[in-house]
Amino acid sequence: MSHSDTIPLHSSSQSDIDEIENLINASVQSGPATVQPARPPSPPRIPVSSSPFLQSNLPPPSTAAAKLPPLPSSSAPPSVLPATVPAPAAQPPHGNSAGSNNYAASGFGPAPNTLTEPVWDTVKRDLSRIVSNLKLVVFPNPFREDPGKALRDWDLWGPFFFIVFLGLVLSWSASVKKSEVFAVAFALLAAGAVILTLNVLLLGGHIIFFQSLSLLGYCLFPLDVGALICMLKDNVILKIVVVCVTLAWSSWAAYPFMSSAVNPRRKALALYPVFLMYVSVGFLIIAID
Amino acid sequence: MDLNPPPEENYANPRTCLFHVLFKAASLAFYILSALFINNFVIIFVVTVLLAALDFWVVKNVSGRILVGLRWWNEINDLGESVWRYESLDQESLARMNKKDAWLFWWTLYLTAVLWVLLGIFSLIRFQADYCLIVGVCLTLSVANIIGFTKCRKDAKKQLQQFASQAIASRVSSTLQSAFTVV
Repeated sequence: MSHSDTIPLHSSSQSDIDEIENLINASVQSGPATVQPARPPSPPRIPVSSSPFLQSNLPPPSTAAAKLPPLPSSSAPPSVLPATVPAPAAQPPHGNSAGSNNYAASGFGPAPNTLTEPVWDTVKRDLSRIVSNLKLVVFPNPFREDPGKALRDWDLWGPFFFIVFLGLVLSWSASVKKSEVFAVAFALLAAGAVILTLNVLLLGGHIIFFQSLSLLGYCLFPLDVGALICMLKDNVILKIVVVCVTLAWSSWAAYPFMSSAVNPRRKALALYPVFLMYVSVGFLIIAID
Repeated sequence: MDLNPPPEENYANPRTCLFHVLFKAASLAFYILSALFINNFVIIFVVTVLLAALDFWVVKNVSGRILVGLRWWNEINDLGESVWRYESLDQESLARMNKKDAWLFWWTLYLTAVLWVLLGIFSLIRFQADYCLIVGVCLTLSVANIIGFTKCRKDAKKQLQQFASQAIASRVSSTLQSAFTVV
């Protein structure tokens, strides 16, 4: 990239870019152990130390080192961030950079020339992560470990797509007032997820805000499927059956996570609103024609 | 912060700067212009929010690192607690960062948020609740990035101060020690 630029680069920047490119080429380690994506960021609810600011020339703290293979220090010039930083989320479908597989290990992340990298690589990787999160949450999985720990690698892209998709399907199914339907569906689901999470937290439960948002979003998947079927076939009886089945599936998917987060005596208090929200979405699906 | 870009150098990463600005501008432009041409709220919503989300990702993962050498993210550690991590390049690399890039980065970040607030005020005045929804989502994304990067920068400065004071303290103590041994 730097060689084809006609704008003369600042000399120090040129050397930085060269260092980065060398590093990318030299690095052979692959794939992030944990991929963080995240959208979120509002200021953290749990006051947490803004933890070790990793200096590139200091040895990384052990907690971070446990997660990723460290970059070979011999090839790490001082301007490169240590590779023990978990790879930042790969997210978006538009994959500007962050495509290559050895991206986690290359410390400073995607080199400038991955901006022109094919979009498909990033799309595929992101989709595979969304799919794996989805499988973890929604489908029966006997080998699933402690449900409270699931969705450690939370991401909000899956929920975003599912909510928008549900809104779109409902909007398409509606014969009048399409915009209002979409807006109501989106607002209901988004605000509902936030409120449900707050509910759990206020009940004294132990759940991470964004993890819970992510979870509730992923649990919408069955309802998405149900809404799609209802849009395609306009029979009322079929709609009722489909909605009941998908509603049960959604609630079943959300149950283990929510219930493990709260005191057993308060399980019903935490789960009832979730069920209520899914029921209201179900009614919306049935009622729209 | 000054209003004019530092004059003495060119952009070091023009392509990154372009992408940094591209999605923000596209999202704002689409929102503003679409009201003139497109009558369908759903399309406006989906496209604007999608562009804003892409912009969020680009700023957080690409331009933040390349233009200002900062990065922030959230992890859930083994105890199940949420940890916000901030990271930046070490001091000499930070000093070597292109000033113009950094100027562009911060200015466009703040400017976008301000523009979304203005657009939000317009739609409030017109009592268009559904357009307020779009503005709300886009504003949340912009503000999120601003908060994340500002905290990251403060953390970087704090670390730098700690490091410097540690260095001074150790110098002083070693000087004292050597002084006493001589005496």
